[in-house]
Amino acid sequence: MALVSAPANDRKRVKVYELKNNDWFDRGTGFCKGIVVNQEEAKILVASEDDPTRQLLETKISKDDGYQKQQDTLIVWTEQNGTDMALSFQEPEGCAGIWDFVNEVQSRLQALAQDDGLSDDIGDNVSPIILPLPDLSNLPEIENHMRAANSTPGGREALTKFILAQDYIPKLLPLVDMAEDLESASDLHRLCSIMKMLILLNDTAIIEYVVTDEVILGVVGALEYDPDFPLHKANHRQYLSDESKFKEVVKIEDQSIRKRIHYTYRLQYLKDVVLARILDDPTFGVLNSLIYFHQVDIVQHLQANAAFLKELFGIFSPKEPNLQRKKDAVLFIQQCCAIAKSLQANARAQLYQNFINNGLLDVIHYALKHQDASVRVAGTDILVALIDHDALMVRSYIFKAIQEKSKPLTDTLIELLLIEVDLGVKAQMADAIKILLDPNANSASIEALGRTNNDFLAKVRGSLPSMPQTDSFIQNFYDESARKLFQPLKDLEGRPSMNDLSIQEVSLFSHLVEVLCFFIRQHSYRSKYFILSENLAARVAQLMECPEKHLKLTALKYFRTCIGLHDEFHNRQITQHNLFEPILKILFDTMPRDNLLNSACLELFEFIRRENIKPIVTHLVQNYREKLQAIIYVDTFQTLILRYDQMHEPPTTQELENSFTSVESDTPARNGGIVNGGKWGQGLKEADAEEEAYFNGSDDEDDGLPNAVKPVLNGTSPARPLVNYPDEDGDDDMDILATSAPSISPQTMSTATQTQETPTTSPTSKVNALIPPERISEKRRREDDEEDELLANLSNSGTKRRASTSSNANSGSLRGLRRKNSIASTKDGGGGPKKISLSIPLKSGGEGGEDD
Amino acid sequence: MSSGGSDLDKAIAQLRACRPIPENQVREVCYKARELLIEEGNVVTVDAPVTICGDIHGQFHDLMELFRVGGDVPDTNYLFMGDFVDRGFYSLESFLLLLCLKVRYPDRITLIRGNHESRQITTVYGFYDECLRKYGSANVWRHCCEVFDYLALGALVIGASTTLTPTDGPPAPTNTTQLAPLDSEIEIETLNAANEIMYRYARDSSQASNSQQPSTQSPSASSPTIPTPSNIGPAGTSATSSSSGSPGTPGGAILCVHGGLSPLIDTIDKIRLLDRKQEVPHEGAMCDLLWSDPDEIDGWGLSPRGAGFLFGADIVKCFNYKNDLSLIARAHQLVMEGFKEMFESSIVTVWSAPNYCYRCGNVAAILELEEDGSNAGFVRRSNGERGAGAGGWILGSNVGPNTSNRHSSPGAGNGNGNGNANRLGALTDSVPQRRRDGPGRRYRVFEAAPQDSRGMPAKKPVADYFL
Repeated sequence: MALVSAPANDRKRVKVYELKNNDWFDRGTGFCKGIVVNQEEAKILVASEDDPTRQLLETKISKDDGYQKQQDTLIVWTEQNGTDMALSFQEPEGCAGIWDFVNEVQSRLQALAQDDGLSDDIGDNVSPIILPLPDLSNLPEIENHMRAANSTPGGREALTKFILAQDYIPKLLPLVDMAEDLESASDLHRLCSIMKMLILLNDTAIIEYVVTDEVILGVVGALEYDPDFPLHKANHRQYLSDESKFKEVVKIEDQSIRKRIHYTYRLQYLKDVVLARILDDPTFGVLNSLIYFHQVDIVQHLQANAAFLKELFGIFSPKEPNLQRKKDAVLFIQQCCAIAKSLQANARAQLYQNFINNGLLDVIHYALKHQDASVRVAGTDILVALIDHDALMVRSYIFKAIQEKSKPLTDTLIELLLIEVDLGVKAQMADAIKILLDPNANSASIEALGRTNNDFLAKVRGSLPSMPQTDSFIQNFYDESARKLFQPLKDLEGRPSMNDLSIQEVSLFSHLVEVLCFFIRQHSYRSKYFILSENLAARVAQLMECPEKHLKLTALKYFRTCIGLHDEFHNRQITQHNLFEPILKILFDTMPRDNLLNSACLELFEFIRRENIKPIVTHLVQNYREKLQAIIYVDTFQTLILRYDQMHEPPTTQELENSFTSVESDTPARNGGIVNGGKWGQGLKEADAEEEAYFNGSDDEDDGLPNAVKPVLNGTSPARPLVNYPDEDGDDDMDILATSAPSISPQTMSTATQTQETPTTSPTSKVNALIPPERISEKRRREDDEEDELLANLSNSGTKRRASTSSNANSGSLRGLRRKNSIASTKDGGGGPKKISLSIPLKSGGEGGEDD
Repeated sequence: MSSGGSDLDKAIAQLRACRPIPENQVREVCYKARELLIEEGNVVTVDAPVTICGDIHGQFHDLMELFRVGGDVPDTNYLFMGDFVDRGFYSLESFLLLLCLKVRYPDRITLIRGNHESRQITTVYGFYDECLRKYGSANVWRHCCEVFDYLALGALVIGASTTLTPTDGPPAPTNTTQLAPLDSEIEIETLNAANEIMYRYARDSSQASNSQQPSTQSPSASSPTIPTPSNIGPAGTSATSSSSGSPGTPGGAILCVHGGLSPLIDTIDKIRLLDRKQEVPHEGAMCDLLWSDPDEIDGWGLSPRGAGFLFGADIVKCFNYKNDLSLIARAHQLVMEGFKEMFESSIVTVWSAPNYCYRCGNVAAILELEEDGSNAGFVRRSNGERGAGAGGWILGSNVGPNTSNRHSSPGAGNGNGNGNANRLGALTDSVPQRRRDGPGRRYRVFEAAPQDSRGMPAKKPVADYFL
């Protein structure tokens, strides 16, 4: 180590990033230096810019590979503890300095390890590869050499080093033209194979190099002759050399930024078109991360460039005659905002702040009213991105508008929703209204802001009028705007027939009812009084008379949502106005047919029965007893009547409980518990007696059935949520049904939990068996960087409400960064290593990771 | 687009050429499909003969290959078990083609929902981006997602024969085993894309004899008869074209779902009590049906996917017994051989995306079920049927012909007044331990479409760029 000198420690300004939950989390900005501690230890230190005594980073340089330099200013590595880190340097020189230091330290450490004779990774020291100077005659030889080298990690590494050190790619490219002139298909196919191998070496330096102006056309030229498609020739060169695809709304003066824009485009083209079919996951990840970092740099540059922004937003002034240019400018801003979604919170805040200062809100107004639907789509996109970023900020601007007596954005949105003819845009407007009024909107991004930079946040916010609370914003909405929004619903009153709704009306009403459903879940008491005062429930019920079945279904969903809230107020409104009348009509119209409307009705009544919502049960039976009695194709209604009768008789009739779901749910806390603990077992035993006989006959392990089941079922009851979360209505309900699973085979149920706990049928293990998905997924998210369905499934849950606005593409891509060396991961897929520490044998059929 | 008319046929022709149709046409097709799908139950009843297909995943050219191998719509009836979109580069064309065919021939093609028919999953695995690229806005994606919410969750195939009419194709050159003789009762036949026989297995005779129940037991008077769809075999197979020649006896019904079973669902009737019109939830019965996998375990296990469960042979057998099923057909997992039977052929995985993701190197398969010649005793309905006419599905009637409540027709006011309680009792009576014979199964295995039939698969490049 004595030979390694610490790098010249001038102040290298860096940002420290840490990968957390697939997001690069900004640990702060500071100054970086490398120090040599002793012969066997060297470190990288980053001291905070604001407080030099605080270390943002202190990491020991390990001898193992795992450091990557990307572009000119980025070093990425994985810490000993598995955390992925990145240093983003302000200056390329600073980066190069630290990079050289790391390399030197590593080679010293490796040499030391060899000296000790302890090293077992001889494979790392592969003999260098030398390929002959390429010409058409030795292409087969080169291809074979490369293929051989490609098969081992060491070989790949050596190959990469050789290719870069010898500038090998430019030497290959002239051969493409030569082979084309000779019309030598075999040579062209070989060149294509060679080029594919080079790119799939998955080395950042090589990939960055192939998209540079000098070589890009040659490279994609070679890739046009894919031996897998011998009869085809792609036209990549033609496509990429067509410069008209690049739209420059405002001239970008900075040449390096312009270059980056082109590089990004080429990388995307490589990813989507040229290599789409053959990309392995690591290369896909590297391409994505390169694209991401380029885009970040581009957007960062533009948003901080005052002259550029001035010109960009100046396009919207009346002085600009070119309408196409205005349209392009909207689309340009839309693209900026799309990229901004993946920026760090405070960088994003800065961007939006700069945009807003230059007039972003006017642009949104302009776009929303544009005659071209695609521009309206773009405008809504920008707006939704903005609200997603900081709903509080948008709301405060709306407040400001209200105070200034100008038309607030909410009203614009409402007007547009009501008159919009493009059904797609209409849907988007409805979404935008929902998010704007979602009291839980983007608390996450606010949190992130607060965490990273309080000062900055304060600065941004300071420039706004006093921050109104979300609450008062919503109050204001109900005072001022809600009536406008729901006016069309209200106007239904007295409408003689529902048979003549236009397509536009049908679409509008479904959106309005959906928005209303959202409101009753999100703003419980305000929406309640609003619905009461406007008597909207009756209007929604009226919609069930229309011939459009999907609208009926939407209206039905409203009542299901209301009843799911277990709110006496809503229940009373429904019963007082006899709103079950149209629901029962749908039921009778559809039964006993098996279709979606009928199932939806049955589900509603099943829910009422299962939850034993007494006022509704009473209302139904008192008013419709005979009708209900006639419905025998499911036992739901008989049981409803039974419930009613039980309520009005001494509780000795319990033994009559014998539903076809075998087990009744109850929610004692909520419903005052006419059902006592004893009834659980009792009801169950009766229903299961015959089944039990069967299982006892078939399987002698079932001996303890009644004893085993009872505690399990009782265990389930407290596990039921006391609050019924509206989104999961359906799921909650199903928990109840779940309790019949043990009756199928209690001992099998318990095995479900073996992996986590000892196999008992104790209440806790039962509960675990029913809740495993989250648990596992969390584990996987920590342990496993494989791209997988469940990540998508669960990490997205926050945006469930409107998946359209979310995209995991970037966070997904970044995962690729730390997989440089895991070439094998495509092959072993999800069934592969460190998947999950289950004792259950994994899939025997096929590759688990490719499962779908 | 006028109803079912030439515009729709034009759209189908355009999609068959792998060219997307304009946004307004997509919207219309989606609206029409919605009207049809809303009439379908959560579990659609489908009559044999039918060809069951697994995941497609936007591999349009391979879907065309599937139609080539299995016969074209409407000549062959198809049941697709979901996962039409994502991963491949032509999700849009694949899904819209299937949807147009559904609208055009509602009784000939059944589509059920896979876990990828979901807003969340499609935003991550490609369909969303594809729509955005091909149309410049997310509108088409929204329309499609709306349709996803209406797709049925499962299908029940009834009237499948327990034996196959043997195909008279030549043995495949690769075949090394002795084919079962033609006069035996053929249970399984595997054909390659050239209609050559790879394997042919006769039914185990001891088991077979056990299962020969006279079909006259069923009260055929109670089954409304509708015209049997003419049985036209796939292109190139003359054998399946006889409509009532097969000598088989009715087996139990076949349940088709994308994923598998759920601990919350012990009878098929419970699936009917779900309100399926929603985004696929993260847990619960609906989620499980679309996400679960069978596995070599006892009982239920945690799924490494993070949604759904693993379930073992005991669960499958118990469920099949209770619901009088002879087989569960499902998709959801890549199998290199295209199909995989498990647990003594009580469940099969069918995978129909060859060379998955354009690089997995697997073959694909479809499963053909033949029609039972006797056609007796089943309550039928056709998909998309409307009005209050006869023939609607009656809950509980999926209980097959050989359980004791067959003696009285379900739900027909049989003295007891409570058909379901009666049924439960009947089910758990001391019925002799007997497993239903599986249907005769013909697997057609095929490889990815030949390269020449298409250009190089690629995503559509970004048209214009600002950044």
